[in-house]
Amino acid sequence: MANYTRSGIPLKSAYSPAHIKNFDYQKNLNSPGAFPYTRGRSANATGAWIQRELSGEGEPSRSNEQLKYLIEKGQMGVDVIGDSPTMALLDPDHPLALNTVGTQGVSLCCLQDYRELFRDLPLDRISVSSSVPPAFALAGLYLVAKECGFAPDKLRGSVLQAPFYAEDCGYAMHLPFSLRLRIACDCIEFCASKMPKFHAFVEDTYFFSETGLNAIEEMALGFIEIRHIARQLLQRGVDIDSFAPRIAILVNCSMDFFEEIAKIRATRRLFARMMKAEFGAQDPRSQAVVITSHTSGLSLTAQQPFNNIVRGAIQAASLAMAGVQAMEISAFDEAYRTPSPESHLVGLRTQQVVHLESNIAAVQDPLGGSYFIESLTDEMEKRMVDLIEDIESKGDPATLSEKGWFKKFFENSMHRYHQQIGSGELAKVGVNVHQIPDHEDTLLKEISEGKIEPYRERAEKIKQYKHNRDSIQIKAVLQDLQQSSKSENENILPAIITATKAGATMGEIAGVLRQAYDYPYDPHGLIESPV
Amino acid sequence: MKKIRVLIGILGLDQHDLGAVGISRMLRDAGMEVIYAGKFNLPPMIVKAGIEENVDLIGLSCHSWEYLYYLPEFIDLLKMQKLDIPVIVGGSVITPKDSKALIEMGVAAVFGPAATSAEIIECIQGLVAKK
Repeated sequence: MANYTRSGIPLKSAYSPAHIKNFDYQKNLNSPGAFPYTRGRSANATGAWIQRELSGEGEPSRSNEQLKYLIEKGQMGVDVIGDSPTMALLDPDHPLALNTVGTQGVSLCCLQDYRELFRDLPLDRISVSSSVPPAFALAGLYLVAKECGFAPDKLRGSVLQAPFYAEDCGYAMHLPFSLRLRIACDCIEFCASKMPKFHAFVEDTYFFSETGLNAIEEMALGFIEIRHIARQLLQRGVDIDSFAPRIAILVNCSMDFFEEIAKIRATRRLFARMMKAEFGAQDPRSQAVVITSHTSGLSLTAQQPFNNIVRGAIQAASLAMAGVQAMEISAFDEAYRTPSPESHLVGLRTQQVVHLESNIAAVQDPLGGSYFIESLTDEMEKRMVDLIEDIESKGDPATLSEKGWFKKFFENSMHRYHQQIGSGELAKVGVNVHQIPDHEDTLLKEISEGKIEPYRERAEKIKQYKHNRDSIQIKAVLQDLQQSSKSENENILPAIITATKAGATMGEIAGVLRQAYDYPYDPHGLIESPV
Repeated sequence: MKKIRVLIGILGLDQHDLGAVGISRMLRDAGMEVIYAGKFNLPPMIVKAGIEENVDLIGLSCHSWEYLYYLPEFIDLLKMQKLDIPVIVGGSVITPKDSKALIEMGVAAVFGPAATSAEIIECIQGLVAKK
């Protein structure tokens, strides 16, 4: 057994009062719901969190069926991810999209798609979260809600903001840094006034930490991005208390049980102090960050997929003890595929068993006061602060991002992770210890290796859709959008909503925005701009 | 001895490039020359780059199912142009069953999620020596 945490913090064989010498309950812990919120966001949490599984596959109507299936099984919110073209801001009829439409998520590119995706969902009792590029997810949800007669200011849910690291970690959209940052700020500012219950600012530390970052690195990079975006918004004259209450952090959860709990506690404390001291936030809700979570796909294995169910249960227990507001468990078949219905159900049932049978979440912060947890929380916080300072001392984070400094950081951490697995330093049951031969490794194998065929007919459908539109009108709205995006002081989101409503597609909108920023319409040089 | 020249690339919209980056680093560390074609390639682009760069071997990194549809086209292109460049494929999503199909199609070697660095390097050296 390692006597270090995954982040490299040395562990004693047991802990005592000597390890928390500067223990100050009022200052560093306090009751749940009281500054600095180490022990929890609110005083009277019910013990429940939003239980959901990340979903999305095929065309929007197929994903709508999937969402209804999950809601019927007890899911309390939805979270949808786009397929590879959608995540890359390309329409399904783009030449590079052919073999991947709908296989790794849902294909979404126009208003009609969002109508089909959200058809008959009970918006009044579920939250609608989205891992689709934020401006488009917001425009789609906003317009569909209005069409259904559901007031946007009542909408609950979230979109992810990842302007710093998206291009480096598997979600390249080919947008310049300044445009990515602007879109993030525009979404947050728009929602602060038009959709005040909606979390338009979810700092997504999950996806980039899947490059093998440890828990300290994950949170340090997250804080660097949160601070930068918050400073940008303040510079615009946006009041901190108008958007900070709706900041959430989507954290990863790996296999180091106590370290993950300490990470979340340290994050809440650090966030509260940062909001109060650095940004002058007055509203208590601005200081108490919402924590949402997704268990680590990287921690799962292709070998012996049944072990992944056990990993999911351990991670869920850890998150429940840390006190999160929402949870998603990576599907046991994650290593090979987009989740099967069976693995979705296992994920959801895992959460329900932890919630309803184990009593883990009946008491808030059940580990508070433990010599070990308090010592580890203090150490995590200290190391996060040190790393933030260290990285920020290397230069302005925007410049670091543009220069590829973070990309290198992610590459190095992936390299380190593989070395740790290869050398056995990081134990992985079924991979570097307790392996079994292929012919014995059959349990859940068939489900795990199932595949989804690409929805090639979607490309034809969208081509037809584009052909049938009034091309003069589409050209005009795209030109308007391009014009408003050239004025830095204008919020770009209303123009994106207008263009979407008029029938423009995501690929077209992203393309003309690229052009406005002197980038090519099509990053792959395979299709022409309509304007 | 002449350095082995390997082209590493990714097909379609598969965005997971850390595997390809990692493999490139590993091969360079093993003394090979790596031409990194990166993401967002269609089969003709990789074949063309392979010819222009006069490589000894092409390695394709696959972390999405797209490779299932691109690989037959890719192998056909090589055969049509009578090119004797061995192709190896590696990636987390390749199941043992798919691996068999790839070998039958003409791929020289396939590496799944359990492959070690030593196995991959040894295999490349063997394939290039055999040419």
